[in-house]
Amino acid sequence: MAVINVTAGSQAILTLGSNAALAVPGATDSLSIPFLQDLTISSAPGTVRYSTLDSSSSSAFTTVNENSVSCNMLVDDVVMFGDSGHAVNGVKTNGLFETSKAKTEIFFSVSFEGTGTTGDTYWTGKGFIGGLAPNASIDQAVWISPMEIIVNGELTKTDES
Amino acid sequence: MAFRDTLIADLTTTLSGSNVSVSAELPFVQSGDVRLDIKNKKTLYIDQDNVSKEVLYNTLDADVYQTVTTVKGYLTVDAKNQPGDIDSVTNSIREARLGITGPYSKECETSTEITTDYITYEFDFEFITV
Repeated sequence: MAVINVTAGSQAILTLGSNAALAVPGATDSLSIPFLQDLTISSAPGTVRYSTLDSSSSSAFTTVNENSVSCNMLVDDVVMFGDSGHAVNGVKTNGLFETSKAKTEIFFSVSFEGTGTTGDTYWTGKGFIGGLAPNASIDQAVWISPMEIIVNGELTKTDES
Repeated sequence: MAFRDTLIADLTTTLSGSNVSVSAELPFVQSGDVRLDIKNKKTLYIDQDNVSKEVLYNTLDADVYQTVTTVKGYLTVDAKNQPGDIDSVTNSIREARLGITGPYSKECETSTEITTDYITYEFDFEFITV
């Protein structure tokens, strides 16, 4: 057992792709989001509460999971607005803003332990980019934006082989 | 081009009609432990750029840094008989910070110190570039 140390600068990675293969961490033509300040994966089961006459506490049953990935990042111009010279990965070509605006479904992975080593764990899924809200102020000197991926379906754990 | 060079070039022009001149030499200490600005009064000396890299943002992959450059200037004059234009001269020296292009923050702080019969103006320029 050991904590996962993310200070090495290559551990927590958010990778986007226009298909599942392009969203694998470290894959050729994948889009790795740079300058992430924080990264949060949320997997919250929906619940319904109900009361019965024979109990003084409410009971609950679960419905479906609501999954999302959220982050805050310093805005990189190529990642935000796209690289027109790139033709393989649509997310890379169009950038986060156009992909969000077009409501294009994207594939993603979140690496917990970096990439390139057998056994490195990452989660994958697909969803829609939202929540972009670039903010500038003279005190922060650079553009900063939140981003959310509204996950469509399950999160899947994968170990690098 | 070092900020020092730009400051010297700008101030040489700006102060050309004043009672103060600008030296291109560093304010080194001559034999006898006398700094040049104390030996040559009414002459402004600009010290070398001091540069530090500081983290502006920690991120999960690559930190973003800012460059902080500090430059000191020294001007010594007679404390009893200061040049009549000392206020405009010191103001011009502070304003010279605006002639530097690139940094988003350009500050200058002035302090004085009186020793026996002379007064030394010390100018602390600070420039911050992302």
